[in-house]
Amino acid sequence: MHAEDLLTLKPTAQAVAAATERLPEPTTAVRDTLRRTLAASLRAPVAGQWPALLLEARAKADVRYVEPATSHRPLVGPVLVFAKRTFRGAFQPFINEVLRRQVHFNEAILDALTVVIENQREHARTQALWRRELEARMKRLEKDDPSASGH
Amino acid sequence: MHIHQLVARLAWGDAIGNQVRYLQSLLRSWGHTSEIYADAWDDACREQVRSAKSYPRESTRDSVLLVHHSFESRLVPLIARSRGRKLLVYHNITPARLFEGFDRGAALACDAARRELLALRPHVDGAFAYSRFSAEELVAAGYRHVDVLPFAIDWNAFDTPPDPALREELDDGFANILFVGRAVPSKYVDDVLRVFTAYQRLYQPKSRLLIAGNIHRDAPYGGFLHGLKDLLGPEHIRFMGRVSAAQLSACFASATAYLSMSRHEGFGVPLLEAMYRDVPVVAYGAAAVPETMGGAGVTSFSRDPLDVAQLLAVLEREPALRQQVLTAQRDRVAGLSQQAVAARLRTALQGFIEGRMPEQTGVPAAPPVELVCPGFITRPDAPMSRLARELQQRLPESRLLALRARGEEPTLSLGPQATEGAPVWHFTPDQPVGPTPEPLPGSSSLETAVRASTGTVVLLGTDTAVAQSLMQAVGRRGWGVRDAAASSDETATEAARQHLGPRLLELDRADIHATADALVRSLASKKRGHRHAR
Repeated sequence: MHAEDLLTLKPTAQAVAAATERLPEPTTAVRDTLRRTLAASLRAPVAGQWPALLLEARAKADVRYVEPATSHRPLVGPVLVFAKRTFRGAFQPFINEVLRRQVHFNEAILDALTVVIENQREHARTQALWRRELEARMKRLEKDDPSASGH
Repeated sequence: MHIHQLVARLAWGDAIGNQVRYLQSLLRSWGHTSEIYADAWDDACREQVRSAKSYPRESTRDSVLLVHHSFESRLVPLIARSRGRKLLVYHNITPARLFEGFDRGAALACDAARRELLALRPHVDGAFAYSRFSAEELVAAGYRHVDVLPFAIDWNAFDTPPDPALREELDDGFANILFVGRAVPSKYVDDVLRVFTAYQRLYQPKSRLLIAGNIHRDAPYGGFLHGLKDLLGPEHIRFMGRVSAAQLSACFASATAYLSMSRHEGFGVPLLEAMYRDVPVVAYGAAAVPETMGGAGVTSFSRDPLDVAQLLAVLEREPALRQQVLTAQRDRVAGLSQQAVAARLRTALQGFIEGRMPEQTGVPAAPPVELVCPGFITRPDAPMSRLARELQQRLPESRLLALRARGEEPTLSLGPQATEGAPVWHFTPDQPVGPTPEPLPGSSSLETAVRASTGTVVLLGTDTAVAQSLMQAVGRRGWGVRDAAASSDETATEAARQHLGPRLLELDRADIHATADALVRSLASKKRGHRHAR
């Protein structure tokens, strides 16, 4: 450990660094094995996107607002559209209040599902890492003991 | 006088909840009327709290409200319509990037909390922080009256006798390494596991790791930690979960060393708790940790598990050195005695009430262009730093923002300071800056300064943590320069392309002047475009 990597007044950084120099030096093999294990444990960055499975549900979570009013009728259509817009405009505050708890529930359930999906993903990733590390260890053991590979 | 406190959630046993309760007892002992208002609370705190919704009704013109801010609260409108004077108490907000990949909800909430920090500014008369690290961010956010408040700790709470059964179990000749805190990604409990693995394999096979704090096994980070434990393969790791005060005392009483690898602390009470309980502390020097340690314990700027394991080994094997560390820690804690801190706190509050808070003159007026070059000071010869110098000369009205060098202490004066021949505003990085190949860390205060500004933002190096955090926030006023030769992160490049689109330029390493010219021309044409649009 270098003194410039330390911040301590009493004892000084130099004294602590010097003490680390007095520690028994681990063998290269032990140090290398440890470095390999630590490197295998480093977490690759995971994209912060929503799980694709939930994208559609997420788009529909806020049920307070619907698509813009339309009508396929040629003559009375504009009147109907106007009536729909007026109705919604007038009643939207009440609609919001009635559906507020539903929206909160939808958001909460989406959050919970995200946690479940991310947790599953995390377990799968850890399992894969663990398996890879075990296989690497097995290979090293077989390499060290050539008689084992002959059987 | 009525001095009340407002907190988003009053929890039982967390640092902010304990602080709020202790402050209330101090305020009441000084003769003030003091209540705690909260939007949500733990069941155990039901008797101690009033609903935040009732505060606007109950507040008077003479009342003072201490607004504790550390997470998204959605209380800004309520604060705005309340009467009386308001004082922000800033505990700092964990950078959202530390939750990414593990907890999307927490990451979004942290971002929202930083927006609330800016939204609160016009509604409060002053702001206190518990560390210069946090105070620096307040100045960067444009708060004019900022002061650093001593963190009032109720030391008596740490005098609980240890649980005898647990103590006997742990005092079995093993070297016990202790970490206390919730298992959240920002605390980097995974690095604690890595350091302990190195320590056990290289120096002390008869060692045990105690992790005292809540771990949600069902949450992605909890699952990751349990998987990591299997992967690394060390023995004698105990995830203790939530512990009682007596069990915690037993953990401290039998600990050989306290280890923290946290990447973000607004203050860091457990570090001082360990010092108070005579346990040598080894901590990674991120955020306000060096300030909290105050030169006591051992702060490491290296996060290499093998390096930090050496420090644990030294503290165990060298009694004289260990004794020196403990003596320095006792001195540090003595400087934070209850009476001394209470007196300083009272003076600071009195100063606010009488309108005598220090005014920050270093708050910059919004410049037309912000040149964000995090490595300008620490890596002055890097291509982006050379480009920043070129741009600074061509755009003299611009402001150049960069990270402070490693070991430089946070101050409330951000700039400008002449560095490498250019006036530069200095910001403390969230983690120590490593040697050249390592990516540059983010900086909450720098990012907040840019968010608070209204000028055009030029991100010099779109791969940096600072640029990645700001790209979305600055929207259409953001420009970026990417160094393809140094860029290996595909995700970062994709994010830059998505957010900046045509406003992303490539750096020509062979001809920095050409890149500077192209950027200045683009900025000028955009300005002309705006004028014509008007």
